[in-house]
Amino acid sequence: MSEYVFALAVNGLVWGLIIALIALGLSIIFGLLDIINVAHGDFFMLGTVGGLVVAVGTGSFWLALLVVPIVGLLLGAVIERLVIRPTLRQASLTIVTTFGLSIIVQEMVRATYGPQPRRMAAPIEGTVPVFGIDYEIYRIAAAAFAAVCLIVFFLFLNRTRLGTWIRAARHDPETATALGVPVTRVCAFTFALGTAMALLGGVIAAPITTVEFRTGVDILPFCFMAVIIGGLGNLQGTVAAAIMLAVLEGLMTSVLEPTSARILSLGFMCAVLLVRPHGLFAGATR
Amino acid sequence: MSDAGVALSLSGVSKRFGGLVAVDGVTIDFASRRLNAIIGPNGAGKTTLFNLISGEIPADAGRMRFRDSDILGLAPHEVVRRGISRTLQIKSVFGGLTVTDNVRCAVLVHERVMAPLRPVSSFRAAAARADALIDEVGLSAHRHRLASTLSYGDVALLELALALAAEPRLLLLDEPVCGMGPQETERTVDKIREISRRVDVILIEHDMEVVFDIADFIMVMAQGAILATGAASEIAAHPKVQEAYLGSPEDD
Amino acid sequence: MTVARVRAAALAILLVALVAVPWALPALGATFWVNIVAEILIWSLLAASANLLFGFVGLLSFGQALFFGFGMYGVALSIEAWGFGFWPALATGVLAASAMALVTGVMAVRLTWHYFAIITVVFSLIFYFAAMSMKWLTGGDDGISFSPPSVFALGGHTLSLGDATVQYYVILAIVSACFAATALVVSSPLGLRFKAVRENDRRAALVGINVYATRLIAFVLAGALAGASGALFAFFGRYASASYMFYHVSGEAVVWAIIGGSGTILGPLFGTGLLIVFRELVSTVWEHYLLAVGAITILVVMFAPRGLAGAWNGLVAGLLDRGAEEPRRAAIPEES
Repeated sequence: MSEYVFALAVNGLVWGLIIALIALGLSIIFGLLDIINVAHGDFFMLGTVGGLVVAVGTGSFWLALLVVPIVGLLLGAVIERLVIRPTLRQASLTIVTTFGLSIIVQEMVRATYGPQPRRMAAPIEGTVPVFGIDYEIYRIAAAAFAAVCLIVFFLFLNRTRLGTWIRAARHDPETATALGVPVTRVCAFTFALGTAMALLGGVIAAPITTVEFRTGVDILPFCFMAVIIGGLGNLQGTVAAAIMLAVLEGLMTSVLEPTSARILSLGFMCAVLLVRPHGLFAGATR
Repeated sequence: MSDAGVALSLSGVSKRFGGLVAVDGVTIDFASRRLNAIIGPNGAGKTTLFNLISGEIPADAGRMRFRDSDILGLAPHEVVRRGISRTLQIKSVFGGLTVTDNVRCAVLVHERVMAPLRPVSSFRAAAARADALIDEVGLSAHRHRLASTLSYGDVALLELALALAAEPRLLLLDEPVCGMGPQETERTVDKIREISRRVDVILIEHDMEVVFDIADFIMVMAQGAILATGAASEIAAHPKVQEAYLGSPEDD
Repeated sequence: MTVARVRAAALAILLVALVAVPWALPALGATFWVNIVAEILIWSLLAASANLLFGFVGLLSFGQALFFGFGMYGVALSIEAWGFGFWPALATGVLAASAMALVTGVMAVRLTWHYFAIITVVFSLIFYFAAMSMKWLTGGDDGISFSPPSVFALGGHTLSLGDATVQYYVILAIVSACFAATALVVSSPLGLRFKAVRENDRRAALVGINVYATRLIAFVLAGALAGASGALFAFFGRYASASYMFYHVSGEAVVWAIIGGSGTILGPLFGTGLLIVFRELVSTVWEHYLLAVGAITILVVMFAPRGLAGAWNGLVAGLLDRGAEEPRRAAIPEES
């Protein structure tokens, strides 16, 4: 029993790290552009589908891991230019715009990839014993890779000029403009980067989830929970919340139905929204 | 304590934001039937004091008495219903509504009319009062225009009509002539002077010419606290005031 | 004045056309379309619910499906469990939805802006998951079916929903009543408060409006509209299913309202009509018609944020004298 609980916690940690990556993408887009991207979950889904298609087509999962996020970066840039930027003036309607985008992405995948769910073989086979349970090696590799991506992301944000620009533009776009930061282009890049992170998360998760056009709809609420509970725009908080939530939900499923666990997390999110609208960790960054 | 000659009595009113003391133990009685003005350099806490009085931000400490009742801790709409209206530094009206609807809305709220199934236009008395207010502030020609299409000076006048719709006994005006041209300023100053004959007025103003022209009583704030109080002539000669305005270089 | 007349004439034509549907469409050989129009009428109430909040009070809700679901289950369960007749069951559905709107609204309207949209999604998700897992009560995804009671039974005469014409007129009557009530509320002092809160909530508080209470009233009224929509849809489909409580249903309602024209009374009806007719016409020849729906949504936000009704009002006002017209504007709440 206790090994079983531990395995659930580890599983939660794996998912938590992957979701942290996706939720960070959502969070940087919200923090800078002030839009709620309802299509973000579908970008994740696009990552899983892209990962599977490229991996099966070329025979190399590692190639998919490289190519799909780059495609995501380009796709994000195109979408930002064609859809997001022209509708930013209608700030309160950006949710509607991205909802339309979500419909398009899902339907495109359904039209090309097909409606049926598929599964993908893990690129690293085999299991290792983790606290008495045989655990898939790939899941541990996925967690490690997601963790590395998170570290790289924060290094990028804190150590590079572009990262500094993003932080400056988030903090105060007017001053940033006055200081010569090309805010419009930084916004475009941020959207592209957020999109790429969702697709990257998708590729990493592809071997451990079902791959179909609907998975984005399932993962989106979880990403939002991480972003809200961590504090909208609080990036470290998002990561902490994603991991915490996934581990807690994992642990809760040992005694509860998965849906009951999800309901509890959503209820927790409500409480955070109402009592601490700036997130559980508010005050840590501002 | 309370007497009929006091428009608003503040004692020990304080507010801090994090480490910054925005309003620091302000204690003062604003007399009735006088045009009171608050002046002070930027960041002195004048607008914050107005926000505390109107209930938009909660005070940390102190008491506020208005007409024998304590108004500290009331929500903004409750403060309005007790008889204190205010205007904002950045003039603020209902942009997407016509001038008439703007004022009718305020009048109907004041008369506590909800009537969810009767059209607004069927409330004749309210409509007449709204029209009278529009005439009073001189916007009759713009009745049917959307408020968002008005000139800045007209928006300020409309905001004044909205504030007056509640039939206030105390009117708080936050920089009423800020951003206005000379003609608009003159028109607005005349209006304020006229209103102050029947409604108690406290105004914040940066235009010293206007303040010294119309104010009967001036309170000077600096760094959240009261620096000096007195009639216009006393204030102009007050050494501390001159220091606050001219002395230290970081003040604007 | 002429603008008002053009509008009255257009409204009269619309009503005559809707009344004529049950015999005009079969006469044209399109009997199947009677039910489509009925469906449009039902869903337009859900769009009207989203519109009441967004278009008139400035709150974008992505959770109206929750109240739609309560309307559905209010009808289905009260008929199944207590053997309610048509009108009591309808009332139960609407009341259940309104009560739920009151309970969730007390919390939700404390928030504004994106936070409000998010919390409405969260509430609807919580109950979506709950309804999905409580299969013994809700039937989950499969839902529960029931046979609808007769609408009227007097002596030997009964009016039954089994007759497509009766069903259509019952739906038309209830939907018309809901739209009429919405129109009355919106032009009343309460409606003026709604618009004041939408335009500028700070100023609204400063003229003495209790902004929180105003938003809550609107939220409950919108819940009632969504509940009426769900209740009618339950009668129409003879079943209730938890799947209708998903936030995508709410999202569709918002899209219909925006495309039709938010901040207008009949915009939601036009938006819903346009998209459902589009679906019926195109989905048979093009499986992936949703691509077009997504594109239309984005294009409308981009180029015509006032929607169909906004464009129509602009056209009428532009062609005729504009002095007598109450100008309308896309309801874009200010950022707070």
